Amino acid sequence: MTTATHNISLPAEWRDFWALTKPRVMSLVVFTALCGLLAAPGHIHPVIGFTAILCIALGAGACGALNQWYEVEVDAKMARTSKRPLPAGRMDREAALHFGIALAAFSVGIMGVAVNWISAALLAFSIFFYAVVYTIWLKPNTPQNIVIGGAAGAFPPVIGWAAVTGDVTLLPVLLFSIIFLWTPPHFWALALFMKTDYGAAGIPMLPNVSGQRVTRNQIFAYSFPMAITAVTPFILGESGWLYGIASMVLNVIFLGLAFLVWRNEANEASGMKPEKRLFAFSILYLFLLFAVFAFDRMMFA
Amino acid sequence: MTQPEEFGFSVEETRIIRQRQAARSRIMGVILVALCVLFFLITVAKIGIWG
Repeated sequence: MTTATHNISLPAEWRDFWALTKPRVMSLVVFTALCGLLAAPGHIHPVIGFTAILCIALGAGACGALNQWYEVEVDAKMARTSKRPLPAGRMDREAALHFGIALAAFSVGIMGVAVNWISAALLAFSIFFYAVVYTIWLKPNTPQNIVIGGAAGAFPPVIGWAAVTGDVTLLPVLLFSIIFLWTPPHFWALALFMKTDYGAAGIPMLPNVSGQRVTRNQIFAYSFPMAITAVTPFILGESGWLYGIASMVLNVIFLGLAFLVWRNEANEASGMKPEKRLFAFSILYLFLLFAVFAFDRMMFA
Repeated sequence: MTQPEEFGFSVEETRIIRQRQAARSRIMGVILVALCVLFFLITVAKIGIWG
């Protein structure tokens, strides 16, 4: 906040720094990372495991802060994001940048010293990928932004796994692929009923660039490789029957909802119930899939 | 230490600045204490006292 009489900002509230970390996104990141950590073979000391998850959460917070620092003008144009600390004028950009860089450096440093440098390198790369490759490069330039950018959100279970084992094998790559392939249907469902918001901000999301029909086709098309990847751990014998049955049930529901989206012809947000249902279910899908996978691996592997 | 009044802040703005500084100091204190405890526990875990 800058006063009318001078150009010196008032210090931001600590709650605004918390909001800068995108706590809701962080919760999904922490959860998938924890599942990767619990599903990994071997043993990790609880204190070191806690530190690994804390560092991943702080890294995710750094991504949120750096993203909001860069996108302040875009956020100001969208109703959904206009009340964030920077576009609302409750914080100056420099503070957000310093906070983001400090969180990134601190999380990677502690991960390396306390856990291992493989997971620290993965964490550093995922922060770089989200803040630079996705936010600065892909998002404002291509409708495929969230397809490639989805990789940034797919790293947490791999980092959680690497925190325990110190390496990356086929199974964490499969966990990565599940989130990577889940991201397009998840985000494009949101982009369909938030089309005007993204359009106003000038972000080239698929519905704005290629139209709603193409987006619905893509949502349905991406759901198939996602479903196949999700059941692959069971097919390869890397999980038990519990995960096998749960993943099949969840994928049938997901494909059913994606089919309803594909069939829908509505142009206005008010007629997009199938899209809203798919978006809401996709979050539950990922939570349940990873929870059952971690439980299955801990109980039966 | 430079006071907010010297930059032309009003009494109300000065009160808000002091309030926010105090809240941020408290949070920073809690975080630093938590980090001290965490680093101590990491050290103990790394040494292997608790196996």
